[in-house]
Amino acid sequence: MDILHSLFYGFSICIQPDNLLFCFVGVLVGTLVGVLPGIGPIGAISILLPATFRMSPISAIIMLAGIYYGAMYGGSTTSILVNIPGEAASVVTCLDGYEMAKKGKAGSALGMAAFGSFIAGTLGLIGLVFFAAPLAAFGLKFGPPEYFGVILLGLSLVTYLSHGSVIKAIMMAAVGLILSCIGLDHIQASPRMTFNVMQLWDGIDMVPLAMGLFGVSEILVSVEEAAKPEILKTKIRNLFPTMADWMKAKGAIARGSILGFFMGVLPGGGATIASLLSYSVEKRISKEPETFGKGAIEGVAGPEAANNSATAGAFVPFLTLGIPPNVLMAVLFGALVMHGIRPGPFLLVKHPDVFWGLVSSMYVGNVMLLILNIPLIPLWVQVLRIPYRILFPLILLFCVIGSYSLKNSNFDVLVMITFGIIGYLFRKFDYEGAPLILAFVLGPILELNLRQSLILSKGDFSVFFVRPISAVAICVALLLLILPLVSFLVGLAKERSAGA
Amino acid sequence: MKLDVLSGIFWLVMAILVCMESARVDVGSFKSPGPGFLPFVAALILGGFGIVLVINAVLKKTRQDSTTNLWKGLGWHKVIIILASLIAYAILLPSVGYLVLTFALMLLLFGIIERPRFWVRLVTALITVLATYLVFYMWLNVQLPKGLIDF
Repeated sequence: MDILHSLFYGFSICIQPDNLLFCFVGVLVGTLVGVLPGIGPIGAISILLPATFRMSPISAIIMLAGIYYGAMYGGSTTSILVNIPGEAASVVTCLDGYEMAKKGKAGSALGMAAFGSFIAGTLGLIGLVFFAAPLAAFGLKFGPPEYFGVILLGLSLVTYLSHGSVIKAIMMAAVGLILSCIGLDHIQASPRMTFNVMQLWDGIDMVPLAMGLFGVSEILVSVEEAAKPEILKTKIRNLFPTMADWMKAKGAIARGSILGFFMGVLPGGGATIASLLSYSVEKRISKEPETFGKGAIEGVAGPEAANNSATAGAFVPFLTLGIPPNVLMAVLFGALVMHGIRPGPFLLVKHPDVFWGLVSSMYVGNVMLLILNIPLIPLWVQVLRIPYRILFPLILLFCVIGSYSLKNSNFDVLVMITFGIIGYLFRKFDYEGAPLILAFVLGPILELNLRQSLILSKGDFSVFFVRPISAVAICVALLLLILPLVSFLVGLAKERSAGA
Repeated sequence: MKLDVLSGIFWLVMAILVCMESARVDVGSFKSPGPGFLPFVAALILGGFGIVLVINAVLKKTRQDSTTNLWKGLGWHKVIIILASLIAYAILLPSVGYLVLTFALMLLLFGIIERPRFWVRLVTALITVLATYLVFYMWLNVQLPKGLIDF
């Protein structure tokens, strides 16, 4: 009953006209960003973040969260119609969605993606509501050693589950930690790596870093490759899936929802991994696995359900423990902190309006997305026809304005450009930016909890190992860090013995 | 030179520089970490895995791209133009102002990928500047620099 009362309280906040408007703006921008390749939800959230400074924290987080899950809906449109994923979590949808479109079933694919996403998003929210309060209560038992351990574990998992080389991912996390140390030390106020540049005393801001690393670099790579996506010339009809489609897809949606939710909760998990796993599971358990890759509707329904459910799952550790489990949550974490609100176990107690208002707005946002996506698909197709030569300068301009407006300083614009160059080089040399930015956001919290733990224990390092939660978390984290080294040494030994 | 060897050496050098800077601000000890503790440990991890990366790349028998192949057949000159124009934009923004400089930037960028007629670029740039001025300055109250034109 308590949960019901809280939900009604949340709905009373989110249906206020200004919050409804910002929810709508967020999901609309999110869908647009998901449809358009070249800018993802991280870039969009970073660009719009400075504009939220004049809003209330609730309105701001409602809008920014709307961009996140809205992008999951929008990404499937380009995957199905153009065979180019609008964002990373829709990569898998290309495999069967585009094949369905080639066979004249674009409408079924798009409709199933939208309905599957709605069902999964709703189930994910139910999971969020039921897990949040017990996890927040559990989180109240966390002290500095537990926070240090869990954050270290989160960083290790992100690197371990990265798409490319684990060694490179660990290096990027280390770079992120180093970058987070630039500026005045939080405890002794000693300048670290500021090189006598006054603007660096406050450290590097997350917004220009994220915009440069993800937004500007993406544009530079796209302009260089000058790829011109061809939109499939097919009539989009029958957006409502048939009964036969539902019978085939219902299991995939259910499995994708559950799998996606738990992958979203897991640090280092998230929508992309959830969608990949769901596709693998559906192909493995299917009675007709040979149909996958040739237009199997389960190959669309499962991953789309998983990526939407994962977005709800990701909010669980973020809101209740104050630990962002993936890059996007890290950016949202920074956004909330800028508004003076610290996610964590005390959020439910100190700011129940923010928590329940956000949760309720996610349900309202899912309904808006279903309504937006089904009839507006022809409009999104027209949006895709905007020439890239017009689109990329606009995106660059928004990035510049977003960076400048943080502190009315052109220094932040230069920081953004610098990280744009760095991000561009990362792509050339096959490094990922995600571990870097997650470590960058979590670095200050990690350091603070480390030093607080050692102050409390009077310098006794065993404090991390006598407390069960931190002991388990740190041991698993160290194991994940050592595993790539072990596999490297084993590989080296095998090559030597083969050579001998 | 193999890409991973080059990048591994780069990160190793960076790690050494960070270690030196961290030592300068006082690393402290395990019992009492100083301001340089976390960057020092992170730099050790970075340098250590950088060495692993270099060794792995040197010992790998598979062919790996060299740096020249990274830009082969691609429009890298467009990237340079975009970066140069953005850097100039950032430096000149406070003195020249948003309206004039953004118009010039958009005029240049709209012609990077393809070359539409000049008047098309002119009109598109003008619409862009006016629309963004209305949205960001008038509606969202973002303090855009005035520069040469007082608005």
